[in-house]
Amino acid sequence: MFTRRGFIRIGAATVGSLALRPFGMLPAMAQNGPGYRALVCVFLFGGNDSNNSVIPMDDASYQAYQSLRAGLALTASDLTATVTSVSGAPYAFHAKLAEVASLFTSKELAVVANVGSLVQPLTRAQYQQSQAPIPLNLFSHADQQLQWQTSLAQGNGSTGWAGRAADYIASQGINSSGFPTFVSVNGNILLGTGVETQPVAVAPGQSLQLKGFNNAASAQARWEALNSLLTLDSGMSLVQAANNTMANSISDAKVLGAALAKATPLKTQFPKSNIAAQLQQVAQIIQVQADLGMSRQIFFCSLGGFDTHTNELNTHNLLYPQLSPALAAFYEATQELGMAQNVTTFTESDFSRTFQPTSGGGSDHAWGSHHFVLGGAVQGGQVFGTFPTFELGGPDDADVRGRWIPTTSVDQYGATLCSWFGIPNNALAAVFPNFANFGSQQLGFLG
Amino acid sequence: MRQIGIVLGAAIVALLAGFAQTTGPAMLNDHAAARFLDQATWGPTPASIAQLQQMGITNWLNAQFALNTSDLPDQPILAADGKPNTDLAPVVAAFYQNAVNGQDQLRQRVAFALSEMWVVSAQSGVRQAYAFPPYWRVLRDNAFGNYRDIIQAVTLNPAMGRYLNMANNNKANPAKDTAANENYARELMQLFTLGLVQLNPDGSPVLGQNQIPVATFDPTVVPNMAKVLTGWTYPTASGATSQRDNPAYFFGQMYAVEHNHDTSQKTIFSNIVIPAGQTAEQDLASLLDALMQQNTMAPFVCTQLIQHLVTSNPSPGYVERVSNVFLNDGTGVSGNMQAVITAILTDPEARANDNPNMPVNPSFGHMREPVLFLANVLRGLNATVGAGNTINIYANLMGQNLFRAPSVFSYFSPQYRTENGLLGPEFQIYSTQTAADRADFVNAALYHTIDASTTISLAPFVQNATSTNALLDYISYAFLHNAMSPILMQQAGDAANAASGTLAQVQAALYVVLTSGEYQIMQ
Repeated sequence: MFTRRGFIRIGAATVGSLALRPFGMLPAMAQNGPGYRALVCVFLFGGNDSNNSVIPMDDASYQAYQSLRAGLALTASDLTATVTSVSGAPYAFHAKLAEVASLFTSKELAVVANVGSLVQPLTRAQYQQSQAPIPLNLFSHADQQLQWQTSLAQGNGSTGWAGRAADYIASQGINSSGFPTFVSVNGNILLGTGVETQPVAVAPGQSLQLKGFNNAASAQARWEALNSLLTLDSGMSLVQAANNTMANSISDAKVLGAALAKATPLKTQFPKSNIAAQLQQVAQIIQVQADLGMSRQIFFCSLGGFDTHTNELNTHNLLYPQLSPALAAFYEATQELGMAQNVTTFTESDFSRTFQPTSGGGSDHAWGSHHFVLGGAVQGGQVFGTFPTFELGGPDDADVRGRWIPTTSVDQYGATLCSWFGIPNNALAAVFPNFANFGSQQLGFLG
Repeated sequence: MRQIGIVLGAAIVALLAGFAQTTGPAMLNDHAAARFLDQATWGPTPASIAQLQQMGITNWLNAQFALNTSDLPDQPILAADGKPNTDLAPVVAAFYQNAVNGQDQLRQRVAFALSEMWVVSAQSGVRQAYAFPPYWRVLRDNAFGNYRDIIQAVTLNPAMGRYLNMANNNKANPAKDTAANENYARELMQLFTLGLVQLNPDGSPVLGQNQIPVATFDPTVVPNMAKVLTGWTYPTASGATSQRDNPAYFFGQMYAVEHNHDTSQKTIFSNIVIPAGQTAEQDLASLLDALMQQNTMAPFVCTQLIQHLVTSNPSPGYVERVSNVFLNDGTGVSGNMQAVITAILTDPEARANDNPNMPVNPSFGHMREPVLFLANVLRGLNATVGAGNTINIYANLMGQNLFRAPSVFSYFSPQYRTENGLLGPEFQIYSTQTAADRADFVNAALYHTIDASTTISLAPFVQNATSTNALLDYISYAFLHNAMSPILMQQAGDAANAASGTLAQVQAALYVVLTSGEYQIMQ
């Protein structure tokens, strides 16, 4: 059984018995490596129709877009002004993603086009004739969400890529405290589960510290009783699993509570929305990273409601105004903290949606989707990867409704992020087992 | 310091005495009765334990199958300001009142389990509060019927019609470049009936070439299923004129509009062909027949029901025994829910630990999900729950906002695994944060107040606290089937003994027990 505490115990035993640090390179890494770095995932649950997030505005593309998207096509008034990428290509963003467009223009945000879950590079012919392995249970929310997190398109992965990255960080002793590398501000998430490490979950604005304990002897006795029960090893049982979580909660509460007590209020004003509250909580934890003893952290936030089978235009008009200003405020907060270069924010989502609309003004489950990467270290104002050819039944379509076969894999996307984060090339294969299927080709949007 | 060995010995003697044969059938002892009620109700109480002991399991089940007493109040369509009424507070408050006080406990538990399989959520899509009491009634009224009736009733319910867009799902319109909506088509198969992988009756995947699991359907089936399900619209609101595409209205059933139905031939799962030229109602009837022929439905549905009621990790044999009842109740009928529920609750695996001499399989049982945890604590603490209760605020903190599941995938996945590799669906919403939130609820309940219209009574615990041992025995009876572990007895006793005054001792012991892993996991 691997628990966070279990892993640390093993490490301590090694220290004790050999009277050596576990890894000789450890102090050098900690001292000479680059400064603090954090990855922040914003997961758009439900499958964001990114066909309407960012649109190529060259005449041929936009005409095909208007014709095929029909009732879902955004017109000039629904779009930002056309922005020009570093390479001179015209794009427009959904008008309610104005802050995202602005960050693209200021070269702090990049677009990665047509990313998705893949086992290996795949053509339409290979897909249609079953000539190559494809992801398990394509177009299923649950499976595709998990594959974005596990980066194992074959399915059934029991750990997340960020959790495996956290395992590496732990194995090298890069963070000086036992506080988890992976912090979710939105509940348990497989993305952050490693083989050796487990994430911590905190809710925005809430404390993990249990209420009802003071210094009275009776309260202390009750505290002792609660904690004693958690130290028992009841084996491979559900009770043990529950106890592990509670024990982690108590341990993390102590570390996090002490660190956050030193935090000062951020000057950056965050908008009032759930996703903004999550990102604000992340910014506050980043502010106290030194007190926490963390030099590498990965955070998880999410925004749901993107399963727009109907009423898509109105739904985007509700969701994008939550997402876009929250991303901008978070970026501003990292600037305020002097951390803009040290924090990279990226989006994930189940899948994109059919280019062809569906009955009821929406779109159905599809595949490859366009994503945003934001931060001072990002090669902003550029589009990485390639947009699909807007043609139903065309070269990029899995069938006849515009379910784009990804031309960039989640593995490449994640590996590019993790490489910047500090996972060396010789460790990337352990984090992304399918990366070699794509020639271990990173995307270049960082550094 | 407690004398654990002596107490434990005494407990075992008492338990064994409970199995003694009397003139009639063996009467269940307190341990066995409370265990059964933990699985079949929102939690045992002294009264419900006595009732079950008096009736026996068979009669108790039959009585529960006949009860249908707990309703949720219909809500106004519009709020006072004339806008759609989205206030679910009275509905969720009534839900907790029913859970704590209602007589039809088993029906509520099964309907609630079904509501987590057939999800409609106010989180997106269905924001109108008045949609939820009628939807709840569909699950409640069909909980002890036939699974085919559940499929049909939910399929035609307008709240589901709205949530997964079967309402006004019209055939392809080339002029608008639209296709039939795939949402309900996919989830009906994936989540409600077939799953993604063909299962053997024991729940194991059917393996095909290269030992790869066989899919229940391939992606080409989904657009065809979408066509089968075209041509249904919302009920016509009273006073309104019926249209081909009625606006959303949540009383009554959806009805067919043939103009909007795709009458082409469709090939669906298992290469079943729905013939051309059928009406929307005929297509639906053909689809229901086809679904009920899929043997994989039995293990897919039964495993989830077992997980909700009894254990997260049922053995293949347990799943197979229940699946076989689902496929044939003994009279040739498949989908008989009374027979399935009876099979789940009376299976030897469910009942094994009624006998205290049987070793406890450590992977047996399941975590109490937040709503069950709250209801169980409240019933055990003799709570009075008023119509204005806001108990759901606590459930929301713990990750289970009633009628507001984050998506059609509900609050947690039946396949979620704990870090030690066991299936533990409810663990998906048991995090470092929600573990603390559970303990904080216990703190509020015992030491402060839950809300303005919910009160608890510790009087029975105080009355039984003639000694620390007596107090712990009573807590064990009230919350842990008379089977509290020696170590938990030890720790709760230590906490109690450090407190001064009987009430403070009761509070301290209850706090330690109700926050323990041993209580979170129902075994």
